[in-house]
Amino acid sequence: MVNLTIDGKSIEVKEGTTVLNAARQAGVEIPTLCDHPQLTPYGGCRLCLVEVEGARTLQPSCTMPVSNNMVVKTDTEKIREARKFVLTMIFSERNHFCPYCQVSGGDCELQNSAYDEGMTHWPIQPNWKPYPVDASHPFIVLEHNRCILCRRCVRACGELVGNFTLGFEERGADSTLVADLGLPLGDSSCIGCGTCVQVCPTGSLIDRWSAYQGKETEVDVTKTICLGCSVGCSVDVLTRDNRLVRIEGDWEGKINQGVICEVGRFLPFDEKRDRVLTPLVRKDGNLKAATWDDAVSVAAGLVKSGKVAAVASTRLSMEALQAFKEVCASLGVVSIASTEEGQATQAAVAYANKSGKAFESKLVDLKDADCFLVLGEDVTKDHQVVSFFVKRAIPTGTPVIQVASGPSGLDNFANFSFLVDEGKTAEFVNELKNLLKTNAPDFDGSAKKFGVSADMLKEAVQAISGSAKLGVVFGSRSEAAGSDLLEAAAELASDIKGKLVTTKGNINSLGAVHLGVNNPVDISDADVVLLSVGDEELTQQFMKKFDKVKNLVIFSSFVSPLTANASVVLPVTNWLEQGGHFVNFDGHVLEAKAALAADDGVFSNVDAFSKLAAKLDLNISANWKDALKSSSVVEITL
Amino acid sequence: MAKPTVASDWLAGCAGCHMSFLDIDERIAQLVELVDLRATPITDLKHPDKEGVTVGILEGGINNTYNEEVAKQMRERSQILVALGDCAVFGGVPAMRNFFTLEESLRRAYVETPSTDASGKIPSSPELAVPTRVRAVHEVVPVDVFIPGCPPDADIIFFALAELAQGRIPKLENKNLMWN
Repeated sequence: MVNLTIDGKSIEVKEGTTVLNAARQAGVEIPTLCDHPQLTPYGGCRLCLVEVEGARTLQPSCTMPVSNNMVVKTDTEKIREARKFVLTMIFSERNHFCPYCQVSGGDCELQNSAYDEGMTHWPIQPNWKPYPVDASHPFIVLEHNRCILCRRCVRACGELVGNFTLGFEERGADSTLVADLGLPLGDSSCIGCGTCVQVCPTGSLIDRWSAYQGKETEVDVTKTICLGCSVGCSVDVLTRDNRLVRIEGDWEGKINQGVICEVGRFLPFDEKRDRVLTPLVRKDGNLKAATWDDAVSVAAGLVKSGKVAAVASTRLSMEALQAFKEVCASLGVVSIASTEEGQATQAAVAYANKSGKAFESKLVDLKDADCFLVLGEDVTKDHQVVSFFVKRAIPTGTPVIQVASGPSGLDNFANFSFLVDEGKTAEFVNELKNLLKTNAPDFDGSAKKFGVSADMLKEAVQAISGSAKLGVVFGSRSEAAGSDLLEAAAELASDIKGKLVTTKGNINSLGAVHLGVNNPVDISDADVVLLSVGDEELTQQFMKKFDKVKNLVIFSSFVSPLTANASVVLPVTNWLEQGGHFVNFDGHVLEAKAALAADDGVFSNVDAFSKLAAKLDLNISANWKDALKSSSVVEITL
Repeated sequence: MAKPTVASDWLAGCAGCHMSFLDIDERIAQLVELVDLRATPITDLKHPDKEGVTVGILEGGINNTYNEEVAKQMRERSQILVALGDCAVFGGVPAMRNFFTLEESLRRAYVETPSTDASGKIPSSPELAVPTRVRAVHEVVPVDVFIPGCPPDADIIFFALAELAQGRIPKLENKNLMWN
C-alpha cells in the first residue's frame, strides 16, 4: 500500500493506482476527457493535470502512478489556468461550434468541461481547417470536425471489442481517425457494434437513428436485456414519449460488462416488418379484423375441434412459455415444439445426460483464458459478444485456434485456423485430444488425414497443452455442431481442465429446454396448429413447414407469410414492450423490463395466452421456477 | 447619480439575440428604471452617444470593414463592452464560411445559388464594405463581458443586464452558462 496526500487529504491506496483513481477514492474530483473507466489510461487530453510536489511541470493524473508520500494538489490557480488553456487548444483545433451539434446541451463532455471551468469564450480562434465527414456506414456517422483525438474509440474498438478497425494516421493537428488503412467506415472491417459511439465524448461519432432525437436529460432509461441472441447482454434502452431513441450497453452488465453488438444497438431501429395491430380472423377465405373476444372465441373453437400441435418461439419469456405449455397441456398436446427445434441445444443436453452433470462454464470464466479453441458456428455472426471475449484477448498473446468448415469472421484474427470438412470436425477435435495425450505425437500423419498444415497443427497442440486455462467456445448453430463434435470438445476441455461454453440459439433456448418445449416440429397429423412466434423473424425454410396447415392459430407481433395463411392472428408485443425472465446460454436467469408501452389492442404473450385460457375455462399458474430445479448443461444462476 | 447608459448594435448575426433580449417581456420596464437605453437597432438613435455610454452591447461577428468600424466606435464609446451571443463570442453561424475562401463564399452567394439568373455577379462597388474572414468581436476589439448562447436565453440576458445596471460584472455559471 502507498500513502499520499491529495488536496490535504491523506489516503492509502494500492501500489500501481493512478493519481486520478486515488483522487476519486479520496472523493476529489479531477476533470477528464480522454479517460474512460473501461479503457486503459492514455494521457492524451491533458485536462487532468495536477501539481505534484517536487515535479518540474504539471503531471497528467490519469497515467501517473502514485508513489509513497506523494503530495498532490488538484485545484490551484496554475492548474485552473492550464485546464482552460488545454480546453482552448482543443476547441480551437477543429470545428467545435456548439449550436449546431447533436450532443450540445448536456451530452457533450467537451462542452461540459468548459462549463465546469466557467469558460465563457475561447481566447483564441479556430484554425478553420475543414475535415471530412464519413457517412458511409449504415448506422454510424463519423464527423472528423468534432474529433478531439482522445482515442477512446480506438481503445474501445481494440480493448473491448477486439476488432481493431479504428486507428490514427498522421500526426499533430493532422491526426485523423481512420478505419483500417483509410477506408470509408462503411467499407471497412467495422462490425457496427457502436461501442465507439457510446464512448465518444463529443459529437464526432454519432449514430444515425438517435441523432437529434433527444438528449440524455430528456429521455427515460430502462435497464433491461437484449433479446437478440442467447447471450442476454444488459442494455439501457433510452426512450422519449414512448418512442425508441437509443440503445446502449450497460457498463454494469453482469454478462457483457458494457459491450453489445449491432443486433442489440442498431438493428431494432432497422425493423422493416409491419406490425400486427389488431386480431384477425379468416372469414370466407379472407382475413378480417376482429375484436379480441371474437378472435379468441374462434381460436378456442378451433383448438377444441381436433388434434392440436403446438410450436413456440424460444424468444418467449419463461412466464410466456409456461403459460403456453399449460394451455397446450389442457388441450392434450404431448410434445411442444420450438422455433429452433432443439437443434442448438440437443448436443449439449445429450452430453449432460450422458455425463450426468453440468459440464459448461460461464462466459465470465473465459475472461482470463490463456488459449481459445473455437468450434462450430461463426460466433462473430450469431453470438457476437462471445466473439468479443475471444478477439480482445489476442493482443495479450492469447492464442486462438479455430476449427471451421467454411469462411468465418475469425479468419483474420485466429492464430491458427483449421479448415476441416464439415463431417470431419468431430474427428479432427478427437485427433487434437489424442495428440495432446500422446507422448510422441505424429503431427505429419494427423495433418495429412485432415489436409491441414503439420506445422500449424503442432503449434496449435503446443499452445493448447501449454495453456493453464483453455477456453472452448462451441458455436451451437452449425450443421457440424453435432453431438460428436461437442463430446470431443467437452472431453478435450475436461482432459486439461479447460472451460467450455456452448452458444445455443435464441435468448430462452435453455429455458425452453428446462420447460421441455424445445423439441422438433412434427405437425403432420395435426388438425390445428397453435403457433406462438412472438417477435421472432423466422426463416423461409422454417415457415414452409406450415404451408399445408389447415387451421393455424398464430400469436405474432409482425406480419409474415405465416400470418397471411393463418385462420386466427392474435397481435402480441415485441421484446421492448414486455417484461419477463429468460435463461441465457450460460445459465443466468435474467429479467427483461418493458421499455415501451404497446399499442392498444396488442397484448403481451402471457396476457394473450391467458385470454385463450379463460375461453377454455383454464387457470394459468405460470409457475416456471420449478422447471429450473432439474439438472442442466450448466449451473443455473438465479 | 445618473442612471447607467446602455447602447447596442448588431453586426454579422441574425438579430436573434436582440429578439431574445425583447423576450425579457415586461421585465424591460424594470430594466429601464435602472438604465437609460440609448442607441440600439430598435430605437431611433443609431450611434452610441459621443460622450460615451456605460455599457455597449454587440451582437454578431465581424465579417467586413463596416462591422470593424461599428465595433471600434462602440468600443471607444463604451466603458464596458459586451459580446452578446455565439456569433459575437465565437463567430457563430456566419463563421461557417471561414471554412471556405472568400471568393468561394461570394460566388456561392451571388452566382451559383439556384435563384440567381445568368446576370448574377459579385457586387464590386467601391462604396461597399470589404468582406473579411468572420471574426469574434474580441479578435478586433477588447471585450469585457462574454454572453454566449444561440441565442442566449432571455433570462440570461436579463440577469447579465441587471448585474451591469447595478454596477457589477456578471459572472455566468451553471444554468446561466450555455453555448448552444
